[in-house]
Amino acid sequence: MLAIQVLINALVLGCLYACIAIGFSLVWGVLNVINLIHGSFIVLGAYLAWGAYNALGLSPWYSLLIAAPSFFVFGYLLQRLLLNRVITAPVLVTLTLTFGLDLILNNAMIYYFKADYRKLILNPPTGSVSIFDVVVPVDRLIATASALALTFLLYLLLRRSKVGRAIVAVRLDRDAAVLMGVNVKSIYAVAFGLGAALAGCAGVLMALIFPISPLTSSAYLGKAFVVCVLGGLGSVSGALAGGLLLALVEGVGSVYLGPAHAVTLSFVLLIIFLVVRPQGLLGRKGFE
Amino acid sequence: MFHPRLVLAALSASFLLAAAGLGATSSVASAQDVIRFGAPLPITGPLAPEAVKQQQGYDLWAEQANKAGGINVGGKKYKVEIVYSDYQSNTPRSVQTTEQMITQDKVNFMFGPFGSGAAKAASTIAEKYKVPMLAATASSSQVYDQNYKYLFGTFTPNDTLTTPLTKLVKAKATDVKKVAILARNDLFPLAIAQEMEKSAKENGLEVVYFEKYAINTLDHSATLSQIKSLAPQWVFITGYTNDLLLIRKQMVDQQMKAGVVTMIAGPAYQEFIDSAGATAENISSASWWHPAEKYDGKDIFGSTANFVKLFKDKYKLEPDYAHASAAVCGALFQMAIEKAGSLDRDKVRDELAKMDVVTFWGPVKFGANGQINSLEPPVFQIQAGKPVVLFPDAIKQGDFKLGVN
Repeated sequence: MLAIQVLINALVLGCLYACIAIGFSLVWGVLNVINLIHGSFIVLGAYLAWGAYNALGLSPWYSLLIAAPSFFVFGYLLQRLLLNRVITAPVLVTLTLTFGLDLILNNAMIYYFKADYRKLILNPPTGSVSIFDVVVPVDRLIATASALALTFLLYLLLRRSKVGRAIVAVRLDRDAAVLMGVNVKSIYAVAFGLGAALAGCAGVLMALIFPISPLTSSAYLGKAFVVCVLGGLGSVSGALAGGLLLALVEGVGSVYLGPAHAVTLSFVLLIIFLVVRPQGLLGRKGFE
Repeated sequence: MFHPRLVLAALSASFLLAAAGLGATSSVASAQDVIRFGAPLPITGPLAPEAVKQQQGYDLWAEQANKAGGINVGGKKYKVEIVYSDYQSNTPRSVQTTEQMITQDKVNFMFGPFGSGAAKAASTIAEKYKVPMLAATASSSQVYDQNYKYLFGTFTPNDTLTTPLTKLVKAKATDVKKVAILARNDLFPLAIAQEMEKSAKENGLEVVYFEKYAINTLDHSATLSQIKSLAPQWVFITGYTNDLLLIRKQMVDQQMKAGVVTMIAGPAYQEFIDSAGATAENISSASWWHPAEKYDGKDIFGSTANFVKLFKDKYKLEPDYAHASAAVCGALFQMAIEKAGSLDRDKVRDELAKMDVVTFWGPVKFGANGQINSLEPPVFQIQAGKPVVLFPDAIKQGDFKLGVN
């Protein structure tokens, strides 16, 4: 029974990890930018949900509707005004720029929200469902479903819409896309905006589950990074595969080796992947 | 004939010199009337919330001391000045900061940095320069095992928290046979978990699970499922506020129930109670001090009730043991300096070493290694959203309630 419970836990956690990583993967895949501000975006999304619930009594499901457009605009402007200026520079330059932006955003959050840990407590609590002694918390289930829905929406967007095809085209061959009349700068901004919107939505969902503090941003960023390396860049399903693999390794590792070694195990796996299969489980060129 | 511009330049130069001279003398004069205390704190970084607590404690003491005219040194009053420095939650930097305060900022006395690890590291510097250092938040006995002469601490060893707790559980919850212990892999949380394991075994309880989790762990579901499958009646978890909030939430998610659930060190903090909401109910814990204590002290704050009142007036919140310990460190320095009647570091150190006095914090007497050995730390439980003291009997506010759902 324990084995089934651990598997179910891992399945749900894997989807949450995918939710954390998907925006990061999109930006990395399309723009070739390692967006270090991603973790702080998630935390900001969590504060949005927390504030909307406590001050306005707004359920987190509505906060998702606020988070998606506002983070999109924020991300779009950030890319348009700042990142586009250095996008053609070597990867270290964009890395440093997002690192600096992250410092500013994170410290601004420490200043305004303080570093204290807060928690979004839904009233009434959502509780858990149990089937034959296997327990699944409802909030995680909902977050998982929303994560899958967001992932599917992104997939549809990239597959079916004109903008989506342009993003994929830029990812595949920037120069050819320019020749086909794609406005690359604008597509970059749209992709970054989408990444930010996904991070903001992930933050709203994480607010239901994890304690909220600016200090947790590095933990989210770390997970996003590992998920992307394991799953591979360039596909929506890659983030999902990476998230599930990471959650499974952590879950099984913590039962058989103890929780202190679960994190070690996941990083050992990361190193093995970097050496043996650097493109990740499902990595490929072009974002599908 | 002098050029007018030259005259002007000469005039302004002499004026500047005079001003500089004046400035220097006035600062010399004020330096003589001020006692400077160095306080290295993790003002930024992950430990920032802890730094705020200590800072509030020190500031309250300094304010009270200065309001009374200052510290009386052989008939002359000296104002208190606290020199803060941020070591960014980075232990090696706390050592540099301590050295800088002693050599460049010329502080008279030192407060220790936050926690056992940093206090142990920084105490080496205080010892080197023979500056008395009072550590407000260092409990692990490893901090004091170097037998330093200048280091003193206001937290009793970790086993003084776990032993009364085990005895209480043993007496009130007779069906508790199996204990599961989960500890954050960090100096203090791990040390207290190890003490718990020892204390459980000594009292004939079976420890069915003992594991550490890594710092920054984002999910505990697998671990908690495993603990649940072992069906312990007592679940003992150590960590800081964020860990314990997450673990508590996941325990509820996993529908994990136990007769006794103990968490150290979150529940002593109001933000834990606020953020855990109803799930904090019946969680037991222990700490070095509690605002419900009733000591009648000889220090500047006097009674515990007076300290709590002053603190609430200034900060509009209930003080916890971290606030109180910082404030008592200041009060102890004040008593030692007044008794020594001098700012001589060795004389003040000797007064601290032979101190035997009751304060709002409790009776204070330091052992030969510098760690306090006179306190009886309270055991408490969250009942109806409020901490209720269960032990010691002298300040007991309620009875132990079983069952955490």
